[in-house]
Amino acid sequence: MTSRFRAGGQVAVVGYAHSDIVRHADRPLGSLAVDTAREAIADAGLEVGDIDGFVGSAMIPTAGSHRIEDGIGTVTPNWLARHLGVDPRYAAGFTGLGQIPGTVAMAVNAVASGAADYLVLHRALHNPPGQYHVSTMDRFEGSQQWTAPQGFFGPLAMIALPTNEYLQRYGASRETLAATVVEARKNGARIPWSFWHDRPLPADEYLNSPTLFDPICRYDCDIPVDGVAVFVLTSAERAVDLPNKPVYVAGYGMGAPTRSRLPLHWPLEDIMEGGRAMARRLWAHAGMGPSDVDLPQVYDGFSIFPWLWLEVLGYCEEGEAHRLVSSGGIDSDRADAIPALSGGGALGNGRMHGVPQMLECYLQLSGRAGDRQRRVDAALACHSSPHFGGAVAYTSEPV
Amino acid sequence: MSIQGRPLPVADEQSAPFWEAAAEHVLVLACCGQCKAWSLPPEAVCTRCGSIDAGFEFAPVSGAGFVRSWTVVRQSFLPGFDEDLPFVLVDVELADQPEVRLIGRLLDGVESQPELDEPVELAWEDLAPEVSVPAFRLVR
Repeated sequence: MTSRFRAGGQVAVVGYAHSDIVRHADRPLGSLAVDTAREAIADAGLEVGDIDGFVGSAMIPTAGSHRIEDGIGTVTPNWLARHLGVDPRYAAGFTGLGQIPGTVAMAVNAVASGAADYLVLHRALHNPPGQYHVSTMDRFEGSQQWTAPQGFFGPLAMIALPTNEYLQRYGASRETLAATVVEARKNGARIPWSFWHDRPLPADEYLNSPTLFDPICRYDCDIPVDGVAVFVLTSAERAVDLPNKPVYVAGYGMGAPTRSRLPLHWPLEDIMEGGRAMARRLWAHAGMGPSDVDLPQVYDGFSIFPWLWLEVLGYCEEGEAHRLVSSGGIDSDRADAIPALSGGGALGNGRMHGVPQMLECYLQLSGRAGDRQRRVDAALACHSSPHFGGAVAYTSEPV
Repeated sequence: MSIQGRPLPVADEQSAPFWEAAAEHVLVLACCGQCKAWSLPPEAVCTRCGSIDAGFEFAPVSGAGFVRSWTVVRQSFLPGFDEDLPFVLVDVELADQPEVRLIGRLLDGVESQPELDEPVELAWEDLAPEVSVPAFRLVR
């Protein structure tokens, strides 16, 4: 049965570092990861030798024909520990979808249980050379035998089906998808390390872009990048002795699809059904509800996702999020709106998975957001599709 | 490579009966011997009754169904589709059992975009000798 997380408020984020987000880094991803990890550890007021726990996800979301090597195209927790010269008490990888809430949950569980005292959580994303999703395979075995021979292949096809169903069913428009992307890019343009820094997206540019899988055009999808983010977590007790204001994890909820489906087949009803169940678990676990959260950072790897997250979390009725968006309801510059993409998200930063959402929660709750600082007591960081991914609730005081 | 240069399915132990029937333009699905639920792809454990000894057997279904969503593919990311671009892909809920879905090309052409829940019937595309994949046509 779902209930309040016993370790809620017992674990805190105490520091971070983020590399620049670029299309192709001028050095291997592992080098960038070690550099960023050292910077994050120093930011937390710690030495590398203090770190005894590592969690991360090594999954790289490309459908293309690429060879991915540890330290080059991905970075596993063990690789990072070894190259920092640490023999960790705890190192583990998350293999599901919703890699950021998934790894935060592992990190919190490890610290709360005493498996690790000072833990590094990292996400290293890579944009392989060549075309990201293009496959040259002339035969498909395993699960893709059921879909690829018919031409159903890759994440754009995947997201086109639920997006088109939503548009048709609820009378939503590409203009509102454009408004969603424009909002993310507006906020991402204000983030110094963002790939889209100082580059907001004019709505016309979106609307003039050819569709690839109707109604999806290139701007509906976050851009593949090289980038690394590292967070440092420790217990609430240890956190008070460190230089930054701690940000506490209240609880989390993860999705768990209940239906068997073909690969990359994410029907709208599955996303919403699984998402509603995820949200119930999340609110019970974190001991709060949607109205308690000042800053719900919804996930936006595809432009439809912010709408679906707003709906499953309870910020509007099902089928209504497009109206909320088109009426300025998520405009981060309006005092009466929900700042759902204030951190720029994945559309406004580049394909850093749920990092922009988590980082915006951390920066705002720790008072480190600079010119963008808001008054925030509770924040929510979402990642992936609501039915596969999850969300983590953060607070400025332990609750 | 196939006749059309499109990627081919590789049959395995679980899927071989499906592809053997497909070559004859017959759609067969795995049917649970306990509760008679259909599953696609074939499952190790019945998703409806949970039987681990389901004795799945493949049996023909009509392949008629309803369009739950669709997209127009304008860039396929796969070899062999370039001459067919743009084309319509449909996500079809089979009339034989709610929840069972099949994705295939809609062969009516890109001008014939469907409506939500519009009925379709099964069609086939022959990719190579002894290799056919399911597709659909609108029932209008």
